[in-house]
Amino acid sequence: MNNIIVKAERLTKVYNKGVGGDVFALRDVSLEIHKGELIAIMGASGSGKSTLMNILGCLDKPTEGSLFFEEKEVSKLGDKELASVRNKKIGFVFQSFNLLARTSALENVELPLIYSDKVNVTKLAKDALNLVGLADRVHHHPGELSGGQQQRVAIARALVNDPDIIFADEPTGNLDTKSSYEIITLFQKLNKEGRTIVLVTHELDIAEHAKRIIKVSDGRIVSDELNNSPRNAETELNKLVKEVKNEN
Amino acid sequence: MKISKSIRISRNQLLSNKIRTILSLIGIIIGVSAVIIMVAIGNGAQKEVLNKIESMGTNLIVVNAGQVQKTSGRQQIRGTVTTLTIEDADILASECPAVSKSTPVQTKKLLVKWGNLSSNTTITGTTSDYQTIRNFYIERGTFFSEEENKASVRYAVLGQTVVKNLFGKNDPIGETLRIGRVPFKVIGIMESKGTDLNGVDQDDQIFIPVQTALRRVFNLTYINTINLQVLSSNEMDFAIKQVSEVLRERHRLDRLNKSDDFTIQNQVELLETQKETTDTFTALIVSVASISLIVGGIGILAIMLIAIKERIKEIGLRMAVGASRKDILLQFIIEASILSVGGGVIGIFIGVFIAIMASIATEWTLSISIPSIIYSFLFSLAIGLFFGVYPARKASMLDPIESLRSE
Repeated sequence: MNNIIVKAERLTKVYNKGVGGDVFALRDVSLEIHKGELIAIMGASGSGKSTLMNILGCLDKPTEGSLFFEEKEVSKLGDKELASVRNKKIGFVFQSFNLLARTSALENVELPLIYSDKVNVTKLAKDALNLVGLADRVHHHPGELSGGQQQRVAIARALVNDPDIIFADEPTGNLDTKSSYEIITLFQKLNKEGRTIVLVTHELDIAEHAKRIIKVSDGRIVSDELNNSPRNAETELNKLVKEVKNEN
Repeated sequence: MKISKSIRISRNQLLSNKIRTILSLIGIIIGVSAVIIMVAIGNGAQKEVLNKIESMGTNLIVVNAGQVQKTSGRQQIRGTVTTLTIEDADILASECPAVSKSTPVQTKKLLVKWGNLSSNTTITGTTSDYQTIRNFYIERGTFFSEEENKASVRYAVLGQTVVKNLFGKNDPIGETLRIGRVPFKVIGIMESKGTDLNGVDQDDQIFIPVQTALRRVFNLTYINTINLQVLSSNEMDFAIKQVSEVLRERHRLDRLNKSDDFTIQNQVELLETQKETTDTFTALIVSVASISLIVGGIGILAIMLIAIKERIKEIGLRMAVGASRKDILLQFIIEASILSVGGGVIGIFIGVFIAIMASIATEWTLSISIPSIIYSFLFSLAIGLFFGVYPARKASMLDPIESLRSE
């Protein structure tokens, strides 16, 4: 696997909290993410996993160390180039969906395209919604959709510009078990189609679906292992559905 | 990103929060329309003054007996000065080369009776040259001639208000009315003139020969005013000097080492006095209106700041999906501009509409000025940009992660 998308070298992130002294969110973290990977970054809250994801996703800058995104050093990019990288190469999925209220699913998905130079905006957005199975919810507003559906709109938004990598920060954190499995099923399907996905989670249950699990604690990577037998979310979802049926 | 896309985003934002948008528009609308209406009122007042001064007669010089005091833009004669005479008027016309015509004027308010009706009216004793000098002509019948004046005949020429008050629908010409106790025959009716600069109705006036007035009605030997017409407008100063010299000589002021017992005023002076007043008035109301524009701008500032607070998460999201700081800056500046330009345009329509309605409904002269429309529009745009840039900059400097994390 030579196709390195993101390469982090000795990342350190320090928050200056004043009275209490400096807080190290990340210490000396190095890692590589290759094309086609499905990675789970695991850790308790406050372990630094979100900070790591934000830096890898070019949203935040490390205090020390360097980050290469497709061989370009991110710290050397200007605001405009950085915005362009986030727009074209990276897709984000958040725990709280972050959809625009009073705006249809379609328009939410179109949002990244507005900042690109793509022309057939509506068609691309519809395709992306189709891919996440929401072709029939195009004109619904976020308030009219379930949590799982909202998160799928958010995934469609992350997919719409055909990015090289998708970062998902606790994508199932606000969802019930069934919806969580649906979302993970979707991620596994997208990964199978060749997309690179990084999931940030604190639940082992979710992390076990990834092909590689990176454990973060106290700002350091404590383990980075390949998961040779990732769980399949689809089978679990089917099992769950069957159980519910039997109970009824 | 193209500007057209930014405009679309901003428009959608404004449309999705209609009440807030309308509230922030109202400030600018009121400001712009207030400026337009106020300038229209000010301009109208000024035009009215100019019209009145023009209608007073061309190249007019007024000599008043005594020293005229100016108090708050109005003129008042102090005390009684008895040195100005009909002869002075005649001599000024013949001895001052710059003066083409002169007419003596003596006025007094007296009770006038016709049949059972009576009215308190200004009686003006003068000569027929009064018409040319004051640009105030007979409409029906005839004005008394110079010969009739010299013969002290009892002829009267009525102003329109007098006709209305005393005669109603009857034809006054040929009728006899009493001024005080003296009977006068009505021989003519003046055209309508309206109010003068001090707001006095010039149509509430009866003209009688000055000789008749002094001998039979007022029982005086002196007059209070001489109206003079100067040959041309560039000889005004020259004429004033000549008139002053002749009067000082005739009144023997130099020999007695006294100051002037008369005051000479020309149109330009009157015009300046009045213009000063209306200018101050206009400046005052326009500045008040401008303040409301600034208040409108502060309204935009406040709304924009609130909008940014409210939409902080959205801003973070936009940055995460690829908006550059410039895109965010542009979006908020465009939003502020749409508010100010939109408010400006609506304000112009409302202002012009109200100004037109007001001039129809009231008797004010309102003159809508194009520069005031352009000025208030540009001012509102400038205010929108000025008060929009700060919140827009603030928005564009936000940290995407902190914005996303905020609730």
